[in-house]
Amino acid sequence: MAIQKQYYRRKKVCKFCVERIDSINYKDVKLLSQFVPERAKIMPRRISGVCSPHQRRLTDAIMKARNIALLPFATE
Amino acid sequence: MRNYEIMFIVNPNVAEDEIDKINAQIESIVTTGGGNVAKVEKMGKRRLAYPVEKFRDGFYVLLTITAGGDIIKETERRLRVMDPVIKYLTVRMDEDIRRQDKIKAHRAKRAARRSANSAGRPAAPEQSIED
Repeated sequence: MAIQKQYYRRKKVCKFCVERIDSINYKDVKLLSQFVPERAKIMPRRISGVCSPHQRRLTDAIMKARNIALLPFATE
Repeated sequence: MRNYEIMFIVNPNVAEDEIDKINAQIESIVTTGGGNVAKVEKMGKRRLAYPVEKFRDGFYVLLTITAGGDIIKETERRLRVMDPVIKYLTVRMDEDIRRQDKIKAHRAKRAARRSANSAGRPAAPEQSIED
């Protein structure tokens, strides 16, 4: 008999697909900051569960927001 | 002609009418070049995420314009020269707008089709489209 998995891992879903967020805008700091944890790095897909097309757009938006000082490049 | 957004940060110690003057200047550059300023939005004073030229706060202004590339080049040059402006960013928006329209049209079509044969089987899960 195979060893049964002890933990049930919830399937991660892409927030942008589920909530039908069409535009990932660089001005939307509230949305973007959900994907930049404390060190101000961009959260990897394997943790956030964002699908790859959306991750691409998200990265774009975060980089623009960093350029205009809405989001930090790094925290001290 | 393309749609652009220009966002810039002004020195927080500058008076409000000074900011209006900067906006008027940029507006005149754009309109004389044959462009169009759709919206001028003063987003107000905000804390900067990192210090810029030793400032910790800044006054954000957002311009939505329709213009050609050479006008943008000129406005950017002017923004660089202006002393109270500490940072600026120009973003091209037309591709993004077109993409959103496409998604919206796609969604509307799906919704129409679904209501047409609503009595039948449950609707298939919607797929997101990306181009």
